[in-house]
Amino acid sequence: MIDNFSLGLTHGLMLLAAWLLIRRPDLDREASSRDAEAAKKSSRWGRKDA
Amino acid sequence: MRDLAFLAFLGAIFALGFRRPFLFVLTYVYIDIVSPQRLTYLLLNAVPISLIAVGLAIVAWAAVDDKKDVRLAPRQGLILILLLYCWYTTGHADFPVDAVFKWEWVWKALAFAIFLPLTLRTKLRIESLLLFMILSAASIIIVGGIKTIGSGGGYGQLNLMVENNSGLYEGSTISMVAIAIIPIILWFTKFGTIFVPDWRVKTFGFALVFACLLIPIGTSTRTGLVCIALLIILMLRDTKRRVVYLSLIGMVGLAAVPFLPSTFTERMGTIKTYQADASASTRIEVWKWTIAYAKDHPFGGGFEAYRQNTIRYDTVKVEGEANNATLDKTLQVDSGRAYHSAYFEMLGEQGYPGLAIWLMIHIGGLFRMEVLRRRYARAEGDEAWIAPLAAALQNAHFVYLLGAAFIAIAFQPFVYMLIGAQIGLDTYLARKRTDSNWRPIMRRRPPPLKAAQA
Repeated sequence: MIDNFSLGLTHGLMLLAAWLLIRRPDLDREASSRDAEAAKKSSRWGRKDA
Repeated sequence: MRDLAFLAFLGAIFALGFRRPFLFVLTYVYIDIVSPQRLTYLLLNAVPISLIAVGLAIVAWAAVDDKKDVRLAPRQGLILILLLYCWYTTGHADFPVDAVFKWEWVWKALAFAIFLPLTLRTKLRIESLLLFMILSAASIIIVGGIKTIGSGGGYGQLNLMVENNSGLYEGSTISMVAIAIIPIILWFTKFGTIFVPDWRVKTFGFALVFACLLIPIGTSTRTGLVCIALLIILMLRDTKRRVVYLSLIGMVGLAAVPFLPSTFTERMGTIKTYQADASASTRIEVWKWTIAYAKDHPFGGGFEAYRQNTIRYDTVKVEGEANNATLDKTLQVDSGRAYHSAYFEMLGEQGYPGLAIWLMIHIGGLFRMEVLRRRYARAEGDEAWIAPLAAALQNAHFVYLLGAAFIAIAFQPFVYMLIGAQIGLDTYLARKRTDSNWRPIMRRRPPPLKAAQA
């Protein structure tokens, strides 16, 4: 009874955490300042007034 | 029924892993800590789930993970050296068969500690690793906590779901781990992002801390009590209102005494009268034996070298009152006594070089976390989480190193995951620093040129 309560609670939380994690893009990739710089450059290149 | 639940859980988490391969790393962490194959009888015992998880984790990392700017920390190199050194001593062990038995799990723990930081490229990954470690340990700690409230427990009495006490299911080890993770649980109640700290997370966190504190009581392990005392002192450093903190701890401590089970108070009483206690006396004798052994075998005797020891010692019992006291000495002879200390475990099994490398790995961890604590002490905004996490990991490590003085847990896989998290945090921040330094250099260049022209 106690065993199952504890196992159920912790495993449920781990499953919920895993579910929340797959919906987070920053799990695999964080926006770094290099990316921001690169994004800025490419947008400038794409613009007409650049 | 339980088998089916475990199978569904593992199936679901493996399936999610195919969406986000980093989850395979977390799955391995979970399997290694909880060992679900030991909690079920039929299904999981036939399939090497641990091997599948680690295999998928490595393949996924090698095949799809971003390996740009991968950094190796010096401590990963040290762990590799220790791994190779242990491999060598296993080949020349005094007890070759037994040594291979221990080597088989030790190398996995060390190899995983080298691999783990490579995958920890984002803050969220470090957080999710720690969350899985805590929740996995919590599955044992919550059971222990509730049963302690229900029955009071006792040394070797508390039923932690499995019969054989190995891994985290062993009483002393789980009490050390339970105390060591308290600072990390508290970090989650402030800085977690997977479960944002609302009243539910805080309630769960504090209840879990309470359960952690009950584990040393439930298992009646003296090591756990010593670890609690150390943690109270360590946490003083980050407390703003120290007098309030100390008086609160004192009050809670005093209030708790009447509720402590007699099995616990009796056993804790033996800390003072350790000379009359066989468990404590044998330790000291085994430690003496190990030092003498290392004199003849400075490169250690390989894993399980303690099996050759024979120790003779007297337990001293004082009987009667102050002036009439008589000393009652009893000679005890014992052989094949385990080290009961990670430091002597390293000295006896891996000799002085092994002990030195091992100490460098651990002291290096304390040192690096100290560096991060200071470097980010005043950081705010999206860097406010760093110093408290470094502090939590450092405190956890201190608790381990104290607990390790009384338990032979030199290669406890949970601790090497903690070290993996430390290295991951360290390399992640180093990457971030070079990343943020990169831009100012580009921008700063023009002004000096102008100045030169003027």
